[in-house]
Amino acid sequence: MRSRTLLALLSALSLLAAGAAGAENKLKLQPGANGKVCLGCHTGDLEKALKKPFIHTPVKARDCTGCHSPHASNHGKLLSEEPSKTCAACHDVVPAKPKSAHKPVTDGGCLTCHDPHASGFKNNLVKAPRDLCAGCHKAVVQTATKAKFKHRPVEQDCATCHDPHGSAKGASLLKGGVPELCVGCHKMERPILVAKHMNYPVAGARCTSCHDPHGSNVRGMLYDNVHPPVAKGMCAQCHEPPGSPKRFQPRQAGMALCKGCHAQKVAGMLDRNRVHWAVVGGDACLSCHSPHAAKEKGLVKANMVTVCGACHADTVKRQALSETKHKPISEGQCTKCHDPHGSGAALLMAKADTVELCGTCHDWQKHSTHPLGAKHKDPRNQNLTLDCLSCHRAHGTEYKHMNPFPTTTELCTKCHEKFKR
Amino acid sequence: MKNILALVLLAAASTARADLALVSRGPVYADTKNGPLKAPEGVACADGALVVADTGNGRLVSYDWKDGVVSGGAEIKLAQVTYPVRVQLDGKGNILVLDRKAKRIARLDRKGAFQGWVDVKGESGVVPAAFKLDAADGLYVLDLTSNAVLALDPAGALVRKVELPKRGALFVDLAVDAAGTIYALDALGSEVWSVAKGGAEFKPLSKGLKDSMSFPSYLTSDGKGTLLVVDQNGNGIVLLGIDGSYLGRRLSIGWSEGAVYYPTQLCLTQGGELAVADRGNNRLDLFTVTR
Repeated sequence: MRSRTLLALLSALSLLAAGAAGAENKLKLQPGANGKVCLGCHTGDLEKALKKPFIHTPVKARDCTGCHSPHASNHGKLLSEEPSKTCAACHDVVPAKPKSAHKPVTDGGCLTCHDPHASGFKNNLVKAPRDLCAGCHKAVVQTATKAKFKHRPVEQDCATCHDPHGSAKGASLLKGGVPELCVGCHKMERPILVAKHMNYPVAGARCTSCHDPHGSNVRGMLYDNVHPPVAKGMCAQCHEPPGSPKRFQPRQAGMALCKGCHAQKVAGMLDRNRVHWAVVGGDACLSCHSPHAAKEKGLVKANMVTVCGACHADTVKRQALSETKHKPISEGQCTKCHDPHGSGAALLMAKADTVELCGTCHDWQKHSTHPLGAKHKDPRNQNLTLDCLSCHRAHGTEYKHMNPFPTTTELCTKCHEKFKR
Repeated sequence: MKNILALVLLAAASTARADLALVSRGPVYADTKNGPLKAPEGVACADGALVVADTGNGRLVSYDWKDGVVSGGAEIKLAQVTYPVRVQLDGKGNILVLDRKAKRIARLDRKGAFQGWVDVKGESGVVPAAFKLDAADGLYVLDLTSNAVLALDPAGALVRKVELPKRGALFVDLAVDAAGTIYALDALGSEVWSVAKGGAEFKPLSKGLKDSMSFPSYLTSDGKGTLLVVDQNGNGIVLLGIDGSYLGRRLSIGWSEGAVYYPTQLCLTQGGELAVADRGNNRLDLFTVTR
């Protein structure tokens, strides 16, 4: 087997040499003109690079013209093509129909991670793999580092589970789907795992609905916020017993099941004038909450911008495009202003009085002398009094200060008409 | 030759629909006793009658609306209906109102006396998000529990159930035209779906309108080949052809007369008058439709 590999390697090298010789002959190049000659001038950093343990194959073969055009080019560094195309000529790393692709790759930024000449790290990475990923994915790596219960592959190399270029099999660059990827290492038929899962046949379940693959502070690497029945191993409180032909089916459908424990909370929600549609329709509580464990408090499925934005994408988009950002939205704290279960006011506002609601964060009397409140009529509309939303849109606009009109003058003169020019 | 004539007629019809304009006729701010409207979310009209769901005040207000002039404004306050959000009038002028707190549809007579709840016979746990009536007073309910449109006869018996697409959509309203086609409005995808009379499943009618609508919340047909969509968060009315084509956008955000702020429902009369329940402005906005 080893001799076969050696033979293949020698064949490849001889082909490479023949190719280089062929190009030299065709263009009547001086010997070494496709690379060695370059080193006569390009000393210094390049010479140092050549001493590093991992050298890019064309560099090692002194084939600088493999990537660079020696005379002139439309691209930086005299590259023959734009960087992504130059690399792609040899490295076909992204699957044809990827389920996910790494942004630097799709943006053509190969050099974000790789050194095109030489590196101290395998695959010509510019840093050690974990440090390199942490450059962009700082929060994930920091949390994983601090986690009490760590996942060994995370400590070793992110590439154990993720393909850094793109994946045809999974989201988030995962090398496979979940649970296929997980069960590659974790044999679910092992008695200890069967017992930990209370004899439920979880081999086909989505592991990441309960476990944090990057590590956690909860034993078993469950997400940091665990639903008490799960923490106590009382799966049968919500699910049919293990071995039941109904498998994981909940004992009751929708909200009725949650009501078993959260009766008072549910009754309180349903008694409000406006119940959030997500509460009464579709998957009810599970529209927003994870039933087992979650990273977010209150077992919310994900950051609120993601969860709320799944339906209210227009609002999230408006904020993203807004020149002035409203902090609670950019920080994913939708519940600072809205009650996600229900409210007595339109738009599920947490307080019916706008001035009072905004006043929980903004002490407006200190920065504004404009009259506001129930005593001040809006000159534009006899049924409105002046409040913060008379001049601002809380989720932002394309103009400064969340102003609904392009300029402050245009806004002010809507009421103060005598100043209109 | 016939084909060319048909194309010319179709083009002319499209131009006429796209030319639909709204001329402001001023707002309605109060009831007959000068009690101001508060966050009204529903409005229904027929020639001669105008009923408003004055949501913030927990009541309905009934006006006369003749020759474009609104008068009266009698309060209808009911113990059963405390949070009315959507209202429709049947062929006899009786009022149907969706109460969001009760999560039920109430039937009132034309003077506003409570006649009873619509109880769907043949389907349990119905939570109506919206409803509409057809020309024969058949009731169509958008049910959140079953994620389906339920067609009921005037007695409330279920005669047809058409399920809505399950994933990636948030259906908030429906409409029925004279041909019996049911339209359903997806606020999430900013799309209108439709199913022909007797059809088994909804199919997408309009596509890719996310740039034209922010959060559509109400849908109705003008009976003349145009679907009108209330874009609540976008503060306007979007016009679509019955083939789903985008025809244009009317109205814009504002607090002054003629502008809207979080509009929620609209109604049209045969005579070409249009009323918008302008929740954020605490008023009803009246317009004349010109073509």
